[in-house]
Amino acid sequence: MIRPTHLRIPNPHLGAYYGIITSAFVSLTIMLALFEQLGAARLWLAYGMLVLPLAIYVAIAAAAQTLDIEDYFASGRRVPPVFNGFVLATVATGGTGYFAYTGTTFLLGFDALAIGLAWAVGLFAATVLFMPFLRKSGAYTLPSFLGHRFRSRTVRIMASVLLVPPTAMLLVAELKAASVVAALFLPFSEGVALITIAVVIAAIALFGGMRSVTWSSSAGFIIGAIGIAVPLIIVAVLVTNLPAPQLTYGETFPSLQNLESILGLGPAQPMPFGEALPVAQPSPSAKPFLQAFGLVGPIDMVALFLCLVLGTASLPSLLTRSGVTPTTSDQRRSGGWAVLFVSLFAMTAPALAAFAKILMLQDLAQPGASAPGWLAQLNATGLGFVRDANGDGAIGGSELFVARDAIALVLPMAANLPFVCTLLMAAGGMGVAIAAASNHLFTIGGSVAEDIIRIVNRSGALPRLTIAWVTIGAVGIAACVFLMFADIDLLRAAIAAFAFAGATFFPVLVLAIWWRRCTQFGAMVAMGTGFAVMVLDAFFGGLSGSGPLQAPIAALIGASLSAAAGVAGSLFGPGLQSAEESYFEDLRDPAGEAIYDRAQRRITAPSS
Amino acid sequence: MTEPEEIDRHQRQTLILGAASLVGVILVVIGTMLVAPMLNRFGFLHFPLGFYLAAQGLLIAIVVAAFLFVKHQDRLDLRREEGEETP
Repeated sequence: MIRPTHLRIPNPHLGAYYGIITSAFVSLTIMLALFEQLGAARLWLAYGMLVLPLAIYVAIAAAAQTLDIEDYFASGRRVPPVFNGFVLATVATGGTGYFAYTGTTFLLGFDALAIGLAWAVGLFAATVLFMPFLRKSGAYTLPSFLGHRFRSRTVRIMASVLLVPPTAMLLVAELKAASVVAALFLPFSEGVALITIAVVIAAIALFGGMRSVTWSSSAGFIIGAIGIAVPLIIVAVLVTNLPAPQLTYGETFPSLQNLESILGLGPAQPMPFGEALPVAQPSPSAKPFLQAFGLVGPIDMVALFLCLVLGTASLPSLLTRSGVTPTTSDQRRSGGWAVLFVSLFAMTAPALAAFAKILMLQDLAQPGASAPGWLAQLNATGLGFVRDANGDGAIGGSELFVARDAIALVLPMAANLPFVCTLLMAAGGMGVAIAAASNHLFTIGGSVAEDIIRIVNRSGALPRLTIAWVTIGAVGIAACVFLMFADIDLLRAAIAAFAFAGATFFPVLVLAIWWRRCTQFGAMVAMGTGFAVMVLDAFFGGLSGSGPLQAPIAALIGASLSAAAGVAGSLFGPGLQSAEESYFEDLRDPAGEAIYDRAQRRITAPSS
Repeated sequence: MTEPEEIDRHQRQTLILGAASLVGVILVVIGTMLVAPMLNRFGFLHFPLGFYLAAQGLLIAIVVAAFLFVKHQDRLDLRREEGEETP
């Protein structure tokens, strides 16, 4: 007999609301472009383009404010698949992808493409392996799912503690990405920009928890998509006469190869992964764009791909969003949409990098020409410079130093587009970074509140939402303080975070969802082993690239050992409880109400 | 068909569909990445083929695989619901 399904109807006006937000942002862009032509100061244009979207995000979050527990932790389970797909894609790539991936593709060419492929395959893996089952569980956080599955508070607390390092690394990376961009265009120091962005992110997460994070992040996704698409389409029209950059940038390859040859960019030899990965400081392009395995060797590229697949599939900030759709089928569909949106971005980044490279090299290759305008702008902001290393009086391809994370911003400059286009690219990156950061912040704050404080302090003296507000605020402040005293490399922090998440959570989630026989002891040793391998790797310098084992390889070893430990711990440790088995059976049934909601209804039924 | 048999069949088919989709996609992506330098001898839409596949072709294939998976898994779930409904 079919069990009754708790129907949850998404808001039918969502399309209209986001149509209005999109129109408002497009109108703002057009208006600022007109003001620029009328001679408006760049500073005021920057205020308009970067600060007004912040107001939009906070206003959406305030409008989605809630005191309802299910709304706060699961957005009322009413988010349509497409909108959840928007947010999943935004969290997977983030501002790190927007700025660091485009720059890495510029500097490494083919060798960087494993990253984009890994996001898409990782989201596909999460869609196949985890998301629908987590939706059936209905748990508000990833650790609470593991706690319910294994009927163990210890597993829940342990998972919550282990969730913090990877999610915090991504949180600080996104915070840094957004604040650096803000400080670049607005007359604030990086510290003031950081505090402003942190306040915005904390407000988004505090107002309505998952609900406000979802609706605000959807706007961040739309502004991010417009921000990267519009300047790139204009450049594609200028260079290839067609407004389809992903399809047409191949036409530029003969010219690009010719320019690389003229400017002395010869084939490179593979290097150790830590050295091949570009740094954030201005660095030269050391290989031809199309050369396969020029700096990153085949083994390192496959290891990076697999590490990021595991990390994306088991990223706590993505899986925490598994309870927000109306049904398990919708959750699966939202995974499909997320794969589509991430793939569109992954197809766009190489186009952006190729256009940026050809425009910059064209300017450098012109004999006797004065220094291009974009180079002066890069010099002024410290994001790039040229150095005639061989003293031949000409600038070669390897003598142009550009900051990896600035390539997205350099493209409109190199194409001599209006300043508003550079601001549009910056606003898009900031929108995506803020959306991802608010998700990471809510994931950590929500988990610490739900899975540690509420479990340890069971007296229930404090209301549930008050604990969440305090933890979210505390995590936001901690991230801010950390960034005031420490510097991080966006790309390396993201790879380390994905490596930690993959080694710690991927094996235990596969065992918990797909193996009936897995026990709570097996789950604990699995998580502990994977995390311990990554901590050891970090201790020996693997995360910074100086250790004997690079983070991607360490993550694969950690995940393999974690899976083996989980299986051995389940087979040879304390036996299986019948409650664990019945939860497993329930989990595998795609129909019916979420297990958590059903349990809550049973608890509250007698008193109502 | 009795309910436990239907459930077993659903779980088996879910496992096969998920494993086949995922392992297939991962093997195709890794295989294509590794042979990309050889494929670059051929051209496609002005791109060297190996580069095109890594930058776009594989991503299109992953999206198609994801939506096909969603469609087939929905069908499997529906069949299980109908099986459970039939006494």
